[in-house]
Amino acid sequence: MNTPKADTPVKTIRIILGLAGAGLIGYGLLGLPTQLGPAELVGLLTWMAVGLLLHDGVIVPLSTLAGAGLTRLSFGLRPTSVALLRGALMTGTVVTLITGILLKAQSVARSTTVLEVDYAGHLLWFWTVLALASAAAIYVSERSGSTGPTIGDRQT
Amino acid sequence: MQKLTEALAAKFASPTRSTRLTVVVGRWLGVSFTVCFLTGLLSHGLQEPPGWMFFPTRPVWIYQFTQGLHVTAGIASIPLLMAKLWSVYPELLKWPPVRSVAHGLERASIALFIASSLLELTTGLINTYKWYPWPFPFRQTHYWLAWVIWGSLLLHVALKLPSIMAHWRGRAIENPATASVTGAAGTGATAPGRWSRRAFLTGLGVSTGVLVLTTAGQSFSWLGRLNLFAPRVMDTGPQSVPVNRTADDAKVAGLARAGDWSLTVTHHRASRTFSLAELHALPQFSQELPIACVEGWSQMAQWRGVRMRDLLHSVGASPDSALRVTSLEPEGAYRLMSMPAEYARDERTLVALELNGSVLDLDHGYPARIIAPGRPGVLQTKWLQSVEIL
Repeated sequence: MNTPKADTPVKTIRIILGLAGAGLIGYGLLGLPTQLGPAELVGLLTWMAVGLLLHDGVIVPLSTLAGAGLTRLSFGLRPTSVALLRGALMTGTVVTLITGILLKAQSVARSTTVLEVDYAGHLLWFWTVLALASAAAIYVSERSGSTGPTIGDRQT
Repeated sequence: MQKLTEALAAKFASPTRSTRLTVVVGRWLGVSFTVCFLTGLLSHGLQEPPGWMFFPTRPVWIYQFTQGLHVTAGIASIPLLMAKLWSVYPELLKWPPVRSVAHGLERASIALFIASSLLELTTGLINTYKWYPWPFPFRQTHYWLAWVIWGSLLLHVALKLPSIMAHWRGRAIENPATASVTGAAGTGATAPGRWSRRAFLTGLGVSTGVLVLTTAGQSFSWLGRLNLFAPRVMDTGPQSVPVNRTADDAKVAGLARAGDWSLTVTHHRASRTFSLAELHALPQFSQELPIACVEGWSQMAQWRGVRMRDLLHSVGASPDSALRVTSLEPEGAYRLMSMPAEYARDERTLVALELNGSVLDLDHGYPARIIAPGRPGVLQTKWLQSVEIL
């Protein structure tokens, strides 16, 4: 339990951070209408709301569902193997998400030297290497007779 | 309703979620957001300088570095933000959603923080692809939302400071009240088929690292071989340098190819014109300088042409002069460019006539363009028409 004397600097820091934060938020919010018209502000608010709904209503529930399915699939695996599997899927998903947007943008690219790469081909190669490397690592992990601590056994 | 939200929270519960996890990911995100904010302010200041603005010209790659860092940190923030939001998702399902005015304000500030951050990162990424599907101007929105986000970050830290301090180090004990919401056991045990907090953080670090390594090659040449998913690739385009705005885009092809083209230099109401042959007759200097775009890509190149200070000297002007440079472009946000004296007097600032050993390609600004150290690419004016000494 902190003493009141020790709490005072923390309280001061919180007040300073809070006031500074609120001030910067106000500066940004007041700045927007100076350069955006009413229709553009409505468009901005719509995009923000849709982004929030898409994230909270679709992406997180889907990722949780995928995680639950993965828990069942990897139930018998060692913690190290589970971590390897989930880490590989997380990496692949993040890269696929970015590449998906790239592929969409590629169809509307306006510059001669932007988005010239075969991203779908790169993604295929990426997943192939990721799958092979992960499968090999999980195989080694499962075959290993070691019972020492693994990355899945420790906490930060 | 409370039973329903509690049931939903239980469905989303995971032993991996914990306040400690949120604090660790929040620290990483705080660093990446701060890097984005500061490098973004520098870029904005260079493009729309306030009165007190300083203009660093050394090292010559300073803008290449800061803007590459800006875009790369922004890309790295995408998985970090998603992980951070995932870690606190059950908080969204708490009932009642608003317990008091203060609590309502706190939740409203968090909603603003999240919505702004999601929009800023998404549109920032898509902007680098030169795709603009939204109904608002990118640059202005990106700038003002950056203030909202960084202000929200400070406010969020202020609100959560006790919890952040309690979980800054790994030895803290999970608050049972928080653990019940996040589903964290706080015991360190890993359930079968699941991963531990440390494993999750390692996976997140690897995912973020892989994303950075496979995209940052557009900004940093030493990562060029790993560049699989960036919108730009170094050493591509005419004369091995990428192009953002082509001569066709700018509608300048006819004017730039005209045989009677000349560069007009105006000083004290007197004007002098330089034909292309006259510019070539002036002392020529070579400089290795990067072209560094606001969208994060960059390319080091060998430029050759007339030093701006020599051009100013030839019309009797001081090299310590601010300039207004005009392009042949009939329209466009960057048809007019202001050049502070810091660049005009710099011995590396050129009216470039050649690029990588040959005459400038039309898409690179033929017959003459500006190249200066440490400036955003949009201010390296192409297809020169006139230079006015202010």
